[in-house]
Amino acid sequence: MFAYYLQLGLRSLRKNPLLTALMVMAIGFGVAASMTTYSVFRATSNNPIPNKSSRLYVPQIDNWGPEDAAENKGEPPSAMSYTDAINLMRDKRGKRQTALYPIGLSIVPDDVNMLPFRENSYGVYADAFAMFDIPFIYGGGWNAADDDAHSAVAVIGRELNDKLFRGANSVGREINLNGRSYRITGVMDKWHPEPLFFDAVNTNGFDDPTEVFVPFTRAVELKISTNGNNNCNRDAGNGWDAWIHSECVWTGFWVELPTTADADAYRQYLNGYSAEQQRAGRFKWAPNTRLRNVMEWLDYQKVVPQEAKVSLLVSLGFLLICLVNTVGLLLAKFLKRSAEIGVRRALGASRKEIYLQFLIEAGSIGLAGGVLGLLLTGLGVLGVSLVFEPDIAKLATLDMSLMALTLLVAILATVLAAFYPTWRAAQVQPAWQLKSN
Amino acid sequence: MLQIKPILAALKRHKAGTILIAMQIALTLAIVCNALFIIQQRIERISRPSGMVETDLMAIQNRFVGVDDFKGGGTLSRADVQALRQLPGVQDAISVNSYPLRGGGWSTGVRLNADDKKPKGHTTLYFVDDHALATMGARLIAGRNFRADEISDADPQAVGDPAVVIVSKAMADKMYPDGSALGKPIYLGDSKKPSTIIGIVAQLIVPWNGTWADNFFENAVLEPFLLTGSYTNYLIRTKPGQLQDVMKSAPAALTKVNRMRVIPSERGVRSYAMVRDVATKGDRGMAILMGVVCLVLLAITAAGIVGLTSFWVGQRRKQIGVRRALGATQRDILSYFLTENLLIGTAGVVIGALMAVGMNLWLVTQFEMARLSLLYVLVGVVVLLLLGQGAVLAPAVRASRVPPVEATRSV
Amino acid sequence: MLKMTHLSKVYRTEVVETYALRDFNINVNEGEFVAVTGPSGSGKTTFLTIAGLLETFTGGQYHLDGVEVSNLNDNERSKIRNEKIGFIFQAFNLIPDLNVYDNVEVPLRYRGMKGPERKDRIMNALERVGLASRAKHYPAELSGGQQQRVAIARALAGSPRLLLADEPTGNLDTQMARGVMELLEEIHREGATIVMVTHDPELAARAQRNVHIIDGQVVDLAEDPRFHQAVHAARANSPA
Repeated sequence: MFAYYLQLGLRSLRKNPLLTALMVMAIGFGVAASMTTYSVFRATSNNPIPNKSSRLYVPQIDNWGPEDAAENKGEPPSAMSYTDAINLMRDKRGKRQTALYPIGLSIVPDDVNMLPFRENSYGVYADAFAMFDIPFIYGGGWNAADDDAHSAVAVIGRELNDKLFRGANSVGREINLNGRSYRITGVMDKWHPEPLFFDAVNTNGFDDPTEVFVPFTRAVELKISTNGNNNCNRDAGNGWDAWIHSECVWTGFWVELPTTADADAYRQYLNGYSAEQQRAGRFKWAPNTRLRNVMEWLDYQKVVPQEAKVSLLVSLGFLLICLVNTVGLLLAKFLKRSAEIGVRRALGASRKEIYLQFLIEAGSIGLAGGVLGLLLTGLGVLGVSLVFEPDIAKLATLDMSLMALTLLVAILATVLAAFYPTWRAAQVQPAWQLKSN
Repeated sequence: MLQIKPILAALKRHKAGTILIAMQIALTLAIVCNALFIIQQRIERISRPSGMVETDLMAIQNRFVGVDDFKGGGTLSRADVQALRQLPGVQDAISVNSYPLRGGGWSTGVRLNADDKKPKGHTTLYFVDDHALATMGARLIAGRNFRADEISDADPQAVGDPAVVIVSKAMADKMYPDGSALGKPIYLGDSKKPSTIIGIVAQLIVPWNGTWADNFFENAVLEPFLLTGSYTNYLIRTKPGQLQDVMKSAPAALTKVNRMRVIPSERGVRSYAMVRDVATKGDRGMAILMGVVCLVLLAITAAGIVGLTSFWVGQRRKQIGVRRALGATQRDILSYFLTENLLIGTAGVVIGALMAVGMNLWLVTQFEMARLSLLYVLVGVVVLLLLGQGAVLAPAVRASRVPPVEATRSV
Repeated sequence: MLKMTHLSKVYRTEVVETYALRDFNINVNEGEFVAVTGPSGSGKTTFLTIAGLLETFTGGQYHLDGVEVSNLNDNERSKIRNEKIGFIFQAFNLIPDLNVYDNVEVPLRYRGMKGPERKDRIMNALERVGLASRAKHYPAELSGGQQQRVAIARALAGSPRLLLADEPTGNLDTQMARGVMELLEEIHREGATIVMVTHDPELAARAQRNVHIIDGQVVDLAEDPRFHQAVHAARANSPA
């Protein structure tokens, strides 16, 4: 029976190509607009580290006081002062923890014919590699002793290793960063979490992959300034030492807490720490701290661009209108065939069979709309770079799951839109024809 | 208008179709109003003048390698600027921390008195020398430029307070609304030392193009400092028509002066047109996207009205024939369908206008958007009513051509 | 075969109740050819739609092939229509989008019949009405008489026990009407039960038995004075 109805449906669609084209286009455009914007939304709202996102946390400590917090809905600053970051590192209350900051190192190749170049680089603690599940092809991270010793060691990315060492195992070899030599302890495999959760504050969540990690302690010793934001609530004073001991906030901090009990304990620790700072006279206010896991943090940092949300909303509205339109056209199309329906009913078609016939006809419109939508989504995804930054635009791709979703949404939406018109069609009385004469 | 009562009675018998058309008009109006509003806001942002003469202007991003992050750059960048100014095709050049629409830069609060707790305004800071106005092409409308002897080096971590500053007119007006800013003091950040306004430029905007800087985007303060950090930007004004040549020769010349530097391969060397292009890309794209959405939406709504009205006309052929037989003119039939559409359209736009405002209020709370101007709702209402009348015209004309003899046909 | 006792059908609107059939009694035996006559608005068509399970009735009883149908749901009624009843309408009621073959196929499809059997039945039915060569034609390409013969083929294809015809020649000219009538008689001779509604006394005369309906009731032809008026009126209306 399915094949019969499909055949009937296609015949009916061919009968009125203009109306059919109109419905197919409405569905196609509506679905394509929604899927294109959804592809961006999906990429930007992605969970970058699904296995651990509920175990990695960002602590926040209010070191500026209620007056500044009031300007930000009572929230503590999004970054930490060096003082607090170092104290938290010293207390080591998590399973693992790291302070970090972006340092924009320049790589000076040994080859004198090559000019220096910059790569995204971070100063981190040894724990970071295990915390962030960073994969290695050669070697590994450095150890805690290197952190303590401010060792000149580095972990580099696969691409940089290809560039400098032609992909050979470079563990143990030296790399010149900012004119100083570092010993390579490991080469990362391709590692590019998106959104870039560990430094959402400075990157807005999207940036090129990180190619160099060096010890946080080493970077600070060498007085390498932050390549990210530095926010001060008052003048930091002159010079490096004044700056790092100021209340300026510029360091990121991550802690791994395996269980919710651990997280609760850490919250208490943060409050206790703040209270201690208050007693010591550094804070003149009650503890105001936060502890957010990866997804909470990305949400708080508004990593999904406003444009992505607004355009997704507008597209969904657009799809809704296209569907209302389709409901109307299907209603007209189906009721035009009241005579046929009456005859079919008289000849023994049950309501169920009328339902099936018309829903399948609608489904075939949906399928056609879906195919058109797929083509338009392909174009739309190419056009995403018109609206979004290249870092984000390149994340929007038409993969298998999006293709399947496009077809599914198109068919489901059309069948949904067809429910009312089909219901009306099934209400046509079998006697309709006799009576009309 | 005499027909309204019978039309309403007829519509009651076509509830579903009537509701569908009204709903479609309402939703379309709600979205089109908000989309038009977004377009207008974005276009406004795209067309902001930077305050600089944007032709024959280019920028190079530069970082010195192997020097102190805060003190290593001064001498090196001074040498670079010297080399650039002597380059054939270059009219003038400066080293500067940032420039309009670059994307990143410095901002601070500005106070009127040393004791004020709250800043009166916000501004961006540009650290420049006496060549800045010439290089940027900023128009001085009051006071004077910096003198060469007023320029000094500054550690970016401890810039200190400038004795003299040049400000944009918007900044001057913000601090001294009566227009008396020239020669008056302002206090930058939480400084206790006044900086005297010695010059006012007509316009100079901030490096950011985002919403967050919207309320101070025209506020700029030029400070007479050369930052000694390892990171700087060079802004270069070329002689007319020589931009393309200088974009090639300038980075080469800099590498020749000193090769221990990084000029990023992407976005390291850009004409100002490219800078503007990158900065306004999102706004332009959003405006285009919303424009396309509006057009397609209006087209689909119009097509939907044509489709449903055609169906009604087909259904009522006999009825129309009877009316014709009873003496209705073609005009009567035409105006029947036009009036019918106007009634549905009016219901649709009333609901749609409410939805448009509601949707905007919600967007305002969610996305820091501005309040929808009622003008847009009004424009949308008129556009949709006209669209409805236009869409219904073809089927209505077809209805008016139904011959009176139709009344006698049974099937 | 078909037995209605004290059957009534009331149409209710917000303002009035109209009795279309009132205390209606009829009995049609297996293999009979009954003509139902009566003036316009007498309830002929209502009777036929109820007989064909196209409509429900308000009161009384209706046994079709021994089954009391008033308690059947929409699905069961659809099934009976499909399997036991064949319809022939005044306006043919072919589906314009389907060709002759596909039109005849419609009831067989709903019966869930397999392809080869469907084909046999369709071609047999079309041969009987003499239109096998027109299988691929669309209704619009056929004359009125041919269309009605397709409709008859469609009614026959399912081998119904009961054939219901509503003014089967009403939209045809005399010659075509005669052809259709002969076809019905032939079908009857082969054993089908036929109930035909008509206002044409000449046609009615060719049936085995005539039932006359006036004001929603079956009337005794011999005794009711209204009969003579009705016949008179029907003669005046008939094209012959």
